[in-house]
Amino acid sequence: MHESVQRIKESIIEGRHKEIESLVREICKTEITLDTVIQEGLIAAMDVVGQKFGAGEIFVPEMMVSAMTMKLGLNIVKPLLTGKAGAPKGTVLMGTVKGDLHDIGKNIVIMMLEGAGFQVIDLGVDIDVEKVVAKVIKIRPQVLGLSALLTTTMPEMKRVIEELGAHGLRDRVKVMVGGAPVDAAFAEKIGADGYGKDAAQAMALARSFVGL
Amino acid sequence: MKATSYNLFMSALYGGRKGIRPPAGNPTSIACVELMKACGAFFPEAHLNARAMADLALAGHKLAGFDTVMPEYSVHQESAALGCEMDWGNETRMPDAKTAPHLDFSDVIVPESILEKPSLRVVLDALSILRREVGGQVAIIGKVMGPWTLAYHMAGTQNFLLQLGLGEKDKINRMLRQLMPVTIAFANAQFRAGADAVVLADHATGNLVGPYHYRDYLLPIHQEITARVGGPMILHVCGNCLDRLELFAESGVDAYHFEWQVDAKAAVEKIGDRISLIGNLNNPKTLFQGTPEDVYKQARYAIEAGVDIIGPECAVPLTTPLANLRAISAAVLDGY
Ligand code: B12
Repeated sequence: MHESVQRIKESIIEGRHKEIESLVREICKTEITLDTVIQEGLIAAMDVVGQKFGAGEIFVPEMMVSAMTMKLGLNIVKPLLTGKAGAPKGTVLMGTVKGDLHDIGKNIVIMMLEGAGFQVIDLGVDIDVEKVVAKVIKIRPQVLGLSALLTTTMPEMKRVIEELGAHGLRDRVKVMVGGAPVDAAFAEKIGADGYGKDAAQAMALARSFVGL
Repeated sequence: MKATSYNLFMSALYGGRKGIRPPAGNPTSIACVELMKACGAFFPEAHLNARAMADLALAGHKLAGFDTVMPEYSVHQESAALGCEMDWGNETRMPDAKTAPHLDFSDVIVPESILEKPSLRVVLDALSILRREVGGQVAIIGKVMGPWTLAYHMAGTQNFLLQLGLGEKDKINRMLRQLMPVTIAFANAQFRAGADAVVLADHATGNLVGPYHYRDYLLPIHQEITARVGGPMILHVCGNCLDRLELFAESGVDAYHFEWQVDAKAAVEKIGDRISLIGNLNNPKTLFQGTPEDVYKQARYAIEAGVDIIGPECAVPLTTPLANLRAISAAVLDGY
């Protein structure tokens, strides 16, 4: 890998948010393609961050700083993307279900998805089923991501999926679910299209849903 | 030793002589809708009215068979006194702070009369009621939030964690130091009001922050708190804390209240000879969704592993079946 791409990657893994913007600005002046910068720099870095988090080497504070660092870098690259490369990979609607206020994990997933080139619309926390359905109708996202951290709010995910069905929208949007108490078996049981254990998996899922 | 609830609990708390059976204890809330209905003390009154608070705590002993009474159900009594706007919730919803008054990490100025703020006074009064009614028979547990948890409430959890990640050491330490006196004053007041032991709940939670955060920021503060508080303290930190158990054992507390994610045998092996252990029934899967038999089995596993005091891992979901809580006391009644 090119040395300057490697430096960007390391800068994100280490959360060196003060230097990332100038590093990315510099690399954009070179012959290295923006796609390489994003894929092998920004996204590859967050993959490593996700692995380190999974292995218990780093924790949420470090992950948040890495995600923030990646986003700062991305903000420099984004305006330079033109034509097909600049077009969003797809739209993802993300929210934490009714009765649940946990949003740290959801916010990290959002940053990752944005990093991967998705347009993400954040519905926030404690969202009513009706609101989700209305937004799906209005925005027509390819992917809907639902987060729940409480056992008691997990059934809300099922309700959302049922309501989408009742409105004839179920096959228009892929639903992915996540959050600490959720697992693949639960996702399958409630008829979701996928389950992601962490932000990296969320990104991989979203990409597979839009055929990337 | 007489096999009273009080004796069994206190002896186990200090790792002392074993009675005829292990005690069942709840450092965190076992309030659930069925208990509320049975004793007529409901949320949100039970957070705000000393009599209702004490009645619900007593129900945990009388109706669920625990050897302790613990009257503080929410994590927000102190933050309400420190200026968070509160939604006190209802029977099926725990209280929640609506605002974080120090998002900017501005100085927290602790009111001199903080112990007289209604949300703290109520806990002290409830402890005194319990002392009058069951003192010496049942162990009375008080609870305070540590500076780390209070900082989540003051600065917002996510914001606090971000500043931590950014390495803003001075900011973080200043806020923790400004909040520490609240923890100390409230704990000492709880002992004076009638508590036999006080829980120090401080959410340097496993999976959320690292053992190095605990060691660098919080351990010295916990050592200072335990040195300046009169009676025995029980540390409560959620999550998988296997990676920091040894640090907890150095904090000066007498016991650690731990979660299911940490295997009981592993916990006993690591620090069981240094401090007592309380726990660690799984809340979401076993207590909330499981059967009394599932609960009984897990409780027996903990007893056999050598856990000193048996109880849920954390505040139980509010719709937990009472029969499942009773299965914990049934398991301790069967002895060692
Ligand atoms: C921080 C926290 C809080 C903070 C939340 C702050 C905030 N703004 O989010 C506060 C203090 C407010 C809080 C409150 C409560 N909490 Co809380 N909280 C936690 C804690 C410690 C960490 C959660 C977290 O942020 N983890 C870090 C992130 C990065 O991980 P994550 O959320 O799992 O997200 C990752 C993956 O799951 C995945 N992911 C997440 N969402 C999605 C979505 C999709 C689509 C995909 C694909 C992937 C994905 O990617 C993320 C990144 O890798 C957990 C304990 C734990 N270890 O999980 C308890 C925990 C979730 N809380 C719990 C409880 C009980 C509560 C309260 C009821 C406490 C109370 N008694 O008042 C309240 C409920 C408030 C409410 N109505 O929601 C329990 C839930 C038990 C259960 N299973 O039902 C837990 C497990 C603690 C425990 N052991 O008891 N909490």
